[in-house]
Amino acid sequence: MLRREVLDSFLRFRAQSHGAQLIHALVTEVDVPSSPNAPYIIHHLINNSRHSLAVDVVIGADGANSRVAKSIKAGNYSCAIAFQERIKLPDDKMEYYKDLAEMYVGNDVSPDFYAWVFPKCDHVAVGTGTVCSKQDIKKYQRGIRERVKCKIKGGKVIKVEAHPIPEHPRSIRVAGRVALVGDAAGYVTKCSGEGIYFAAKSGRICGEGIVKASEGGEKVINEGDLKREYLRKWDDKYLSTYKVLDLLQRVFYGSNAGREAMVEVCGDEYVQRMTFDSYLYKRLADGNRVEDVKMVLKSIGSLIRCNIVSREMQKLY
Amino acid sequence: MHSHFYEILDSLPPCSEKLFGSASLSKLTMSISIALLSLSSPPSTLLPKTHFFFTHKPTLSLTSTRPSFFTFRASAADNGAGVSAPAATVEEPKVPEASEGSVGSNGAVEPEKVMVLTKFGDPKWINGTWDLKQFQKNGQTNWDAVIDAGSVWALKCPEELRRKWLEDNPESSSNDDPVVFDTSIIPWWAWMKRFHLPEAELLNGRAAMIGFFMAYLVDSLTGVGLVDQMGNFFCKTLLFVAVVGVLLIRKNEDIETVKKLLDETTFYDKQWQATWQDETSGGNKKE
Repeated sequence: MLRREVLDSFLRFRAQSHGAQLIHALVTEVDVPSSPNAPYIIHHLINNSRHSLAVDVVIGADGANSRVAKSIKAGNYSCAIAFQERIKLPDDKMEYYKDLAEMYVGNDVSPDFYAWVFPKCDHVAVGTGTVCSKQDIKKYQRGIRERVKCKIKGGKVIKVEAHPIPEHPRSIRVAGRVALVGDAAGYVTKCSGEGIYFAAKSGRICGEGIVKASEGGEKVINEGDLKREYLRKWDDKYLSTYKVLDLLQRVFYGSNAGREAMVEVCGDEYVQRMTFDSYLYKRLADGNRVEDVKMVLKSIGSLIRCNIVSREMQKLY
Repeated sequence: MHSHFYEILDSLPPCSEKLFGSASLSKLTMSISIALLSLSSPPSTLLPKTHFFFTHKPTLSLTSTRPSFFTFRASAADNGAGVSAPAATVEEPKVPEASEGSVGSNGAVEPEKVMVLTKFGDPKWINGTWDLKQFQKNGQTNWDAVIDAGSVWALKCPEELRRKWLEDNPESSSNDDPVVFDTSIIPWWAWMKRFHLPEAELLNGRAAMIGFFMAYLVDSLTGVGLVDQMGNFFCKTLLFVAVVGVLLIRKNEDIETVKKLLDETTFYDKQWQATWQDETSGGNKKE
């Protein structure tokens, strides 16, 4: 739960205070060199005038519509769309969301994801997302507004935002001396849609890897270095987290029966604790094996029961 | 205050078409669930409700209501009658119950449905869960009634109807009024008896028929009798394949479903490994 406008400017400022050189420009193209020792040329626009910059290594952190990724032909990925409205609430309604974030599931708010009401300091962000029915996103937004109607009564929409969210990594994340990090690489988890932490972490791992491989900027690095220091480290650390979240999304978000089962499973204290620990540390939390087995069996039981109820529901009408 | 007599009219044929209904897995789960279930009976203090409007519907179909949240609106029922009764309460039963011999609490048979609905309301839905005391039959809880209606003839407002109602009329939840109903409250044997046993009967019947026929065929082709077949490794493999096949494939569509499932499970992994592929294949530019 953070305000991107505050975080982004903080990160830029911190980089600058550590010696990074900030250039306020729009990158239009990155020229890939034909020989292994020639530099990459970054064409950019500063105040509508074209400039070029020759560099040895490029880290592409430019988000879902990455120019850098296009230049190295990294491949496309399928995207979800996340749509959100920032709503300023009257004080008594804001009190309810003082330390509460809400997550809504159901076919009326999203067919394959969840809708949310997240507090952000002095207003709330009400939004939803979907992969398979992007054209109906407005309908789902209406659905979530309808669901929380009484809780946001009297609120005013102060901002409307939408953004594509990558669903899986690009086919190529490292090419030559260019590496992609964050949303540009597609590091958004399924199930929760967490991207900010992984963007920051991948940027850090990549940067540290480059520093190590080039010995503080003395040596020129190559693709193998990038893959070894960054990609391998990243995949080893986080691939299992991503895979588990993908499984959870497929099982629990696919149908109303799955969602009912998820709500039941999440009533359990052990599940809540594991989820919280995993979410806080971004790794699969290590719990008691016996409790893990019990949790899996209870989940299976809930899924079976909710699917049975759902099946019987189909027969009713 | 308003107690009804609920009868089970179990006229729906069992229907088993989902992967999750597999026999052994659900049995294992049920036996674990029984160890973990807690039979919570919420207090049976009925919230004071002033009136209950029941509609006596001569037709079988249960029409879905169109409530508007937080506004009061009385509208005519879909069965065509033109009289509308005034709204008096906030919480109402959401579906008109079709009944043949039911008597409303106030004795009157209302031909109209009053749609003054804010939330799912039902006399047996108390404090966010089903009040099990109201499902008693001969001193024992009637679990089947908790799960579902049995058929459109029955007078029940159980979990299926509640979920169907919520699908059509989504409600926001709040911590002041939490839903604490959990399907694990219903004991495992109730689930087994109602859903698993008919299906198990079907599957065992199929497996037995296939088994007998195959054993006869193998015997006639190779002369190996049943006892000797069981000792042969190849025959035991065939038996295993037959049992698994009967469990997994119950409709023609299931073959496609199983294939799709296998694809889906490996798809995400393939996307992650794609970046390592181009080392060997010289550039895997998937669009």
